[in-house]
Amino acid sequence: MDEPSRQDGAAARAAPLDFVIPAVIAAACAVVAYLATTFDKAADIIVGHAMQPRNFPLFLAGLVMILNAVLVWQIVRRPPRPAAREPVQTWATMALLALFFLLAGFVDMFLGLMVVAFAMCLVWGERRWWVAGLVALLTPGLIFITFDALLEVRFPRGILTDLYYG
Amino acid sequence: MTEALLAMFSVFADPYLLLLILLTTVGGVIIGALPGLGATTGAALLLPFTLTMEPVHAITVLTTIYVSATFAGAITAILINTPGTPAAAATCLDGFPLAQRGEAGRALGIAVVASTIGGIFSVIVLAIAAPLMAQIAYQFRPPEYFALTLFGLSMLASISEGGAVRNLICGAFGVLLATIGADQITSVERFMFGNYELYEGLNFIPVMIGLFAMSELLVQSTRLNQIVETVAMKAVQLPTLLDYRRIWRTVLRSCGIGTFIGVLPAEGATVAAMVGYAEAKRWSKNRDQFGKGAIEGVAGAEAANNAATGGAMVPTLVLGIPGSATTAVIIVGLMVHGLRPGPYLFTEQVDKVYAIFGAMLVANVMFLFLGLYAAKLFARVTLIPRAILWPVVFSLSIVGAYALNQAMLDVWLVLIFGFVGYFCRRFGFSVAPIAIGLILGEMVETNLQNSLKMFDGQWWRIFLQPLAALFILLAVLGLFSSAILDRFARRRS
Repeated sequence: MDEPSRQDGAAARAAPLDFVIPAVIAAACAVVAYLATTFDKAADIIVGHAMQPRNFPLFLAGLVMILNAVLVWQIVRRPPRPAAREPVQTWATMALLALFFLLAGFVDMFLGLMVVAFAMCLVWGERRWWVAGLVALLTPGLIFITFDALLEVRFPRGILTDLYYG
Repeated sequence: MTEALLAMFSVFADPYLLLLILLTTVGGVIIGALPGLGATTGAALLLPFTLTMEPVHAITVLTTIYVSATFAGAITAILINTPGTPAAAATCLDGFPLAQRGEAGRALGIAVVASTIGGIFSVIVLAIAAPLMAQIAYQFRPPEYFALTLFGLSMLASISEGGAVRNLICGAFGVLLATIGADQITSVERFMFGNYELYEGLNFIPVMIGLFAMSELLVQSTRLNQIVETVAMKAVQLPTLLDYRRIWRTVLRSCGIGTFIGVLPAEGATVAAMVGYAEAKRWSKNRDQFGKGAIEGVAGAEAANNAATGGAMVPTLVLGIPGSATTAVIIVGLMVHGLRPGPYLFTEQVDKVYAIFGAMLVANVMFLFLGLYAAKLFARVTLIPRAILWPVVFSLSIVGAYALNQAMLDVWLVLIFGFVGYFCRRFGFSVAPIAIGLILGEMVETNLQNSLKMFDGQWWRIFLQPLAALFILLAVLGLFSSAILDRFARRRS
C-alpha cells in the first residue's frame, strides 16, 4: 500500500511543521553557497586545470539542494509520523551543556565538569545527593589524575587547576 | 609472506599485548553490553587514551573494542530485549523470545559461538584478501581513487539507519565539513572565520566524540522513563550437538554474507546482521519459528555481524575508506599514530598490519571465553543507573577531546556536534554518514582536483578510465540499489 494512512502511524497529509527540516537545510545551503562565493580566488597559475577552491563547496551545496528537493517530495508523498516531544530532562540536559560552555570558557573546565556531572545525576533521576556528589567529585578527579599523570596532558588554567599547578 | 605470518603470530608471544587485549576485551564487552554505548562510541572515547601507546598497541585497543563490543550487544539483546549495539537489533527478534522461554543461557551460548566463528572467519579472509586487494590498489591513480570514494559515499544510501536521501544529505554534509580549513592545493582559507586553529581543518576526534557520544547522551535523556523487562539467566550453555547440526549451515552462510557486506564501503555490522538474519529465515526449514525463538535466527544474525568486523577492516586498511562507522574512528586512530591507510601500508608497515590482524584473532578467541564464563556478570552492567553512567561518559568525552591537541576549540566542537548529532537523529537522519563523509571528504576533493589536472580539465575523461568507470557504475547501482530492492520486494510480496 503506497498511500499512507493514519492506521500505520503516518499522517494523511503533511503538516507545515514537517517542512521545517527541509527549510533549515535549504537555508543552510544558501548560507554555505553565499560564504563560498566570498572565498579568495586563487591565482590561475596555481589552480591550472583544476577547480577554484570555492567550486567544490558550491557543488556540494547544489547537490544537497537537489537531495533536499527529493526529501520534500518524499515528505509530501509519505508524511512522517509526528515526533514525540522531548521530555523536560532533555531540555534540562541541553541547558546543562550550555552551562558547561559558560563555566569551562570563563571559570574552570573541571569546575564545569563537576557542576554538570552533579546536576546531571539529579536531573536524570538520582535521588541520593551524596551519590551525585561522589560522581561529581570522583569522575572528573580520576580523569584529571589519569590524563595529567599518565598522558601528561596540561589542562587550561582556571580556579581549580590553578590550585593544582600553582 | 613468512614475515607477515610471523608478525601475526608474534602477538601470542607478547605478554603485554595479550594483557592489553584481555583488558580491552573486558572493556569492549562492558561497553557493548551497555545500551547506547556501542563500538563506535567506545572506540571514540578510548582513542585519546591510546595517544601515548605504540601504534600496534593503540590500533589493537581500537580493533579489540570493535570486535568485542559488536558481540556484546547480543547480551542485552537477549536478556532485556534492547540491543546493546545497533548490530544486535536482529538478535532481539529470536534471542529475547528464547530468553522468555527460559533458554537465555542457550541463546547466549549460540550467540557467543556464532560470533566467534564469524569473527575468526573474517580475520582469516582479511589476512588473505587485504594484501591481494592492496596489490590491485597500487595501480590506482587519482581518477580511480576519486571514483572509489564516490562509490563509498554512494553506499551511504543503503545503510540501514535513516532513508537513502537523508543518509546522502548527511554524507554530503560530512564532505562539506571536510572543506573547512585551508584548501589543500591553493591554501585559500575556507569557512575559517578568521580562526587559525581551523587552518588544517576540523579535528576528527572531537567531531566523532560529539556525533556519537554526546548526541547519544542527549538521546538517552529522552529514554529515562522507559521501563525495561529483564529476563533472568542461570548460566551460559554451549550449544549441544543437535544445536550445532541445526545452525552450522546458517553460521557458514552468515560468515560469507557478513564478510562480504563488511568489505563494502560504509556498510557495517548492522546491515550484515539484518541480511544474515533474513537469509537464515529464507533458507530455514523452521521458518514459522522465526520471531518466536529460533536458534538459527540468533546464529545467523550474530555470525554475520561479527564477520562484518573483519570485512570492514579490508577497505579501511587497503584503501583508507571506512567499512563502517567504527572503522571511521579506527582510520582516525591510524592517522594519529602515523599509519596512513592505503596500499603502501602493506609494503612499508606489513609487520604492524599483520600484528593488528593477529590481535583481532586473539580478541575473537578471548570474547568466546569471556562470553561463556562471564556473560552473567557482564549482564549485570546493564543495572548501572543511567544517572550515574552518563555523567561519567560526559566527563570522559570532554577531557578525551581536549587531550589530543590540548585546545578548548576541540571541547566546543564536541558540544556543537553533540547538538548537531542529536537533532539529526531526532529528525530521522543518521550520524554515521556525517562521520564517513568527513573522512572521505578530503580524499574525494583532492583526487578530483588531481584528476582534473591530469586530464587538462576534461572531467569526462575520468569516465573513460576502465576501473574508474566500473566504480562509478557501482556507485550508481549503490545509489539506487535500495529503491530497486524495495520495489522488487514489494512486487514479490
